[in-house]
Amino acid sequence: MKPLVLYFTANYPSREILSEFIARLDTSVVKYVELGMPTDNPLYDGPTIKGTHGTSLADFRDSDLKIYSDLLREHDIRTYLLVYYHELRKRGPGFLHYLRDIGISGLIIPDLFIDYFDSGTEVIKSFPEGLEFIPFFNPATPDSVIRTVAEMTSSWVYYGLQPSTGINVPFDLREVSKRILEMVPGREVNFGFGIRTVDQVREIMELGSNGVAIGTMLIPMLKGNRIDDFVEFQEKVREMMKVVG
Amino acid sequence: MHEYMLSLQEREIIPDNWYNIVPDLPQPLPPPVDKDNEHSSIELLNRILPREILKQEFTFQRYTKIPEEVQELYAQIGRPTPLFRASGLERFLDYRGKIFIKYEGATITGSHKINTAIPQAIYARNEGVKGVVTETGAGQWGTATAVASSFSGIKAKIFMVKVSFQQKPLRKQIMELYGAEIVPSPSTETKFGRSVIEKRHDHPGTLGIAISEAVEYALEHDMRYMLGSVFNSVLTHQSVIGLETEKQLEILGEEPDVLIGCVGGGSNFGGFTFPLIKKFPEAEVLASTAEEVPKFTHGDYKYDFVDSAQTLPSVKMYSLGSDFVPEKIYAGGLRYHGAAPSVSMLVKTGKITPSDVSEETVIDALRIFARTQGIVAAPESGHALATAIEYVVSHRNDRKNIVVNVSGHGLLDMSIFDR
Repeated sequence: MKPLVLYFTANYPSREILSEFIARLDTSVVKYVELGMPTDNPLYDGPTIKGTHGTSLADFRDSDLKIYSDLLREHDIRTYLLVYYHELRKRGPGFLHYLRDIGISGLIIPDLFIDYFDSGTEVIKSFPEGLEFIPFFNPATPDSVIRTVAEMTSSWVYYGLQPSTGINVPFDLREVSKRILEMVPGREVNFGFGIRTVDQVREIMELGSNGVAIGTMLIPMLKGNRIDDFVEFQEKVREMMKVVG
Repeated sequence: MHEYMLSLQEREIIPDNWYNIVPDLPQPLPPPVDKDNEHSSIELLNRILPREILKQEFTFQRYTKIPEEVQELYAQIGRPTPLFRASGLERFLDYRGKIFIKYEGATITGSHKINTAIPQAIYARNEGVKGVVTETGAGQWGTATAVASSFSGIKAKIFMVKVSFQQKPLRKQIMELYGAEIVPSPSTETKFGRSVIEKRHDHPGTLGIAISEAVEYALEHDMRYMLGSVFNSVLTHQSVIGLETEKQLEILGEEPDVLIGCVGGGSNFGGFTFPLIKKFPEAEVLASTAEEVPKFTHGDYKYDFVDSAQTLPSVKMYSLGSDFVPEKIYAGGLRYHGAAPSVSMLVKTGKITPSDVSEETVIDALRIFARTQGIVAAPESGHALATAIEYVVSHRNDRKNIVVNVSGHGLLDMSIFDR
């Protein structure tokens, strides 16, 4: 089983460095890449990821997304876009078709059901064939919302373990994972937010998760262009998965 | 069970679990956010709150076990508090329905605040810290903190808004009697306090300044900070009010049609109404606020700072702005600019109906309540009573069961009747 969903903010720290990192992805452990679309107000991201948006925004163009999507397709890795709803709305309905056409598999919209609750179900319905809406839930998502959104979609589910990325709020991993796995039986669930070590990845995988999203812990590697550390991290995960199975 | 009975002092009425409304809200609760990209005030919470509190703050669990020690202390402080039928008030209003009062003034500190101070102090003590720090305005929260710390065997340091410190010597004496150390804020004990005094040596202080001082002091001295209201974990602890009411109504064979409480930060209101909203989703729910602080009717539903010094994170709530300077109104507990995110969301979605009440109406309601029921209610609770009276007057022919939470007594606030 491939456990990793890796998060990168588009163009961080630069097109060149990010492209080099993508070229070194280990396809035996990485199943998806979640690409963050730079925005001026990444409200629900933690401080580390927030910092990357500022850096990337200056020279970001929508067409950059195609560069990464093409690179990832060469590795046979699906690309999902993490995009705040105000960025999506700004670009109009045609943007969803554009994203699908450049090879984006689906969208994660973290603020949709928090700040635009009344528009949520309409947005899901507006998705064109071939572009998936990825339900994004966390411990603060009420049961009724999880049920409604799960019924309207059939893709994998992103479950944030924390209220925002990179914040270490204590929680009982077993209870948290049990809740969501029971509420969406049979669905692929990938956990994210606040996962900082390979040991945590193992622990989550052992509890029945289908995958683990990693973002904040990659940022220092990207920032320092420490590609060897990135390769070593993936190797560690590969070794760990041999034990977990 | 006789329905006029003043109190149902049965240990079994104290619940085994607190209730958290978050998984039952109609929409996801927006998480707290940081003020900017450089400073993480959420990360700050990691360093100043007991981990158990932080866990409860963000949990999706509906029910959290109340530790045995907390349950015992709840019994010691007078829980379950009485639920009684306000027959005198009914007669006075010539009402054909029934009015029930849940009376939090019967706790040893005279208000609901002790319900959350006890678990917070115990969780802090369990982490091995030497003490807790908090701020207080009028002194209710400080008093609850002082008692809870004394029970837990740890120190309490309380930054009290300087103007209250000077004007309410009785409150200060009570807190000291319980063993707490009281410091007028702004003080010279923190960097922030010193910076305020430097700009204005006779600064009267604000709750926001006191919060900043308390947080800074907790960080510098490895102590834990106590949350008085607004935060989800506090509302969870206060659910003991509503859960007891639910059992007491069941014993009386009654169901509520209307629930009424007052809103400062929202903790007595949320604690009282949330368990009952879950059990009786059809009940009307009225939130009473001061006309001088009309957060629900004139505020915006937006991200705003919990405290005016912007030390703690922003939360999404109805707010008049964290820089809102309220008049020095008669009900200090209702001066707060915002309201708990869960309460705010239920106002936004229409489940809770807000009601602003004028000072004059509140003082009338307090007089009526004192003369018909013999209880001097707190000015804050007077809002709930005023809203209840208004409701009865406009629904005189309905035979409804109205349940009102009276969050505290007003024996230390008698000066409002001099006006």
